[in-house]
Amino acid sequence: MRLDISYRTRFAFDAPVRESQNEMRACPLSDERQQLLSYRVTVEPSARMLSFTDYWGTRVDHFGVTDAHTALEVIAEASVETQEPRPLATGPPLDTLKMPGFRDRHEEFLKRSPHTDWNEDLTRAARQLSETNGSNVTSAVMEVSRFVGDKLSYEPGATEIGEPIADIAAKGVGVCQDYAHLAVALCRSVGIPARYVSGYLFSSDERTGSIDGDLVRVQTHAWFEAAVPGLGWLPLDPTNGLAVGRQHVKIGHGRDYDDVPPLRGVYSGPGTPTVDASVEIRRMDPNRPPSTPMQPALLAAVKAPRTREQQQQQQQ
Amino acid sequence: MAAMSTALGFFDEAVDEHGHTRDHYRPVQEWFDRLTLEQVKALEEQRNESFRRQGITFTVYGGDEGTERTWPMDLFPRVIDAEEWAMLERGLIQRVTALNRFLDDIYAGEQAIVHDGIVPRRLITSCTGFEREAMNVAVPMGARCLVAGIDLVRDGDGAYRVLEDNLRNPSGISYVIENRAAMTKLLPAAFSDLAVRSVDHYGRSLLRALRSIAPPACGDDPTVAVLTPGIFNSAYFEHAFLARSMGVELVEGRDLVVDDHVVAMRTTRGFERVDVIYRRIDDDFLDPVVFNPSSTLGVPGLMAAARAGTVSIANSVGNGVGDDKAVYAYVPDMIRYYLGEETIIPNADTYLLWEEDQRAEVLERIDQLVVKPVAESGGYGIVIGPKATDAELAEARQKILDDPRNWIAQEVVNLSRLPAWAGDHFAPRHIDLRPFVLSGEQVEVIPGGLTRVALREGSLIVNSSQGGGSKDTWVLGSPDHNDPGVLSSPDQTGAKAPS
Repeated sequence: MRLDISYRTRFAFDAPVRESQNEMRACPLSDERQQLLSYRVTVEPSARMLSFTDYWGTRVDHFGVTDAHTALEVIAEASVETQEPRPLATGPPLDTLKMPGFRDRHEEFLKRSPHTDWNEDLTRAARQLSETNGSNVTSAVMEVSRFVGDKLSYEPGATEIGEPIADIAAKGVGVCQDYAHLAVALCRSVGIPARYVSGYLFSSDERTGSIDGDLVRVQTHAWFEAAVPGLGWLPLDPTNGLAVGRQHVKIGHGRDYDDVPPLRGVYSGPGTPTVDASVEIRRMDPNRPPSTPMQPALLAAVKAPRTREQQQQQQQ
Repeated sequence: MAAMSTALGFFDEAVDEHGHTRDHYRPVQEWFDRLTLEQVKALEEQRNESFRRQGITFTVYGGDEGTERTWPMDLFPRVIDAEEWAMLERGLIQRVTALNRFLDDIYAGEQAIVHDGIVPRRLITSCTGFEREAMNVAVPMGARCLVAGIDLVRDGDGAYRVLEDNLRNPSGISYVIENRAAMTKLLPAAFSDLAVRSVDHYGRSLLRALRSIAPPACGDDPTVAVLTPGIFNSAYFEHAFLARSMGVELVEGRDLVVDDHVVAMRTTRGFERVDVIYRRIDDDFLDPVVFNPSSTLGVPGLMAAARAGTVSIANSVGNGVGDDKAVYAYVPDMIRYYLGEETIIPNADTYLLWEEDQRAEVLERIDQLVVKPVAESGGYGIVIGPKATDAELAEARQKILDDPRNWIAQEVVNLSRLPAWAGDHFAPRHIDLRPFVLSGEQVEVIPGGLTRVALREGSLIVNSSQGGGSKDTWVLGSPDHNDPGVLSSPDQTGAKAPS
């Protein structure tokens, strides 16, 4: 599936800020399931861009604005081709998780992290899930994902970033981040390496994954991947129970949200911001060439932002 | 003042097993033997007054809030003869060279040491000091431990051992230089007939090392600045001292701004580009964009500037992965792997508590061992088995079981002893040594280092934060050494008031 993505965040400050420094992680990666065709970043006020690949393999665009400003807008436009996932293979038995080399390689995905700090209740639940269903790693991970989908009901605004995952599980509500963190925590609690994935979902409804038309207006999405010995990383989307497939566009992964936030930064000055973030994804005719050219990987200067009118034409 | 007798199990620096003063201590011992009680007391008074006047103090944290004390320097100096120092110098250069190679391999290389199975991958990924944000940030010449402080002790047989490496922000060098300045003034006659090697060139050597890691594009005259957390930091005195002795600006985070990935400092003449930052701020506070977002001490965007290669930061970000105490246990393997050499100064015998068999042994003999948290420094969190109460031992056991990766255990090292003033006489007290090693175009060791002394009788804790003092450390020149060995007061050329 050819998808054109426009990720846009706008900060409006109620008083001028002297400086802001930001890091954006919005660029789809290329892997066996998806290929990045083009990517372009625009910042207003204009700023020099430093682009690099971080420890986790995610592209980061860093920019600072050091002139006083009351608004800051950043737009990332990507064109990506996605494929169906590999068919699921039968997983190895659970005791393969104990192989010392496997554990050594995945140490950082087995530990607690700020957003995946599980408690006894979650461990007990995960143990039951992994033992009841044929006791192989793939089925255990799928059980965890299904359990999370049942356990939480989708409710925007019901949770805050930073709320302990055990509390969220007890409340039984959340959004895609919470679903992903809970699944990661459950997997790790029984020794299955798991990581948080940030990305985009081409769907008019994050909760069901349904598609209505060729253009959707959404937010960034999150799901998770679990490491299966001998098979690699298995991606699952607990928010809507979908297999991760052509609708999913991956930006990157990490131990939890903090390793792949779409945008983070600091600003100095008296102003407080109102943030407006949105994502538009358009399904494209696969035979059309990508609308935006690839940007050089490092120190690409973006000095002349286009007007809003031009941007809108771009997206059509 | 009489020489003390030797005691079983401890190595005495100044006297041999027959109670005779060792050759290299004879002039010093004879000089102190001639002093009367009144003379010593007068010297002590003079010393305190001098340190107080210059504001040479340090802060003790914990208990009550920070308490300011004048720097406790003991009058009786430590002496290291030329041959012994030559061995130490070789050993320190070897160790720091290997650690630089290791850090560069982890952050900017292929992690070959992991792929070749010398250290397990989880040893790296489980380090609290492993900064993923510093991944692929290059450092010219791989001089990541630009300033290293390597803590050495001598065991019961007098053999030197490395107790720990300090590769993040080792402090204490200003005290080395101030101790020497004070001793030169207080006891000029004690130096007679001895060629004591100078330490006064430290500022010049540090500046040379810092300039050598400047980004290649910045030209022949790179601008260096010292970045301090500010006057409330316990080592602020040292930050100001170092800026002054190098003749460079002392700045705080708010004095720097990153514009288009270039660091500039506000000066009275406007903005000036900064090429090399000697930062004395911990990683976590250095840049709120990528580290602790609530830090107001750091410089937003600094890591991006370092990544863009427009500024070099010393010591490098993420060096904590090199001085983690579990990683320390692998340093002899690193020396073999990177340099093809055997370790010149061995480690203290160390147990890794995530290894099941080693953990079992430690839990059984915990009352005979020293237990340390892997990522702390300054002596915090250490449990000394033979001195601990049953409750303290039980607590240590539980902590090990809860998080074995966070602790190591070591055999107790019976630190060597040297006379120190105990109120009305000189008595043996335990000492260690922190030499300072600079990396740049070459690796250089400052002769001697900071000798720390446990001023309480029988105590093995030398940290100044825990009631320790210090001694001037005299490395004797050898006939074949170029160093003239002449003493002088600290270098004040190019002196500049801290801004």
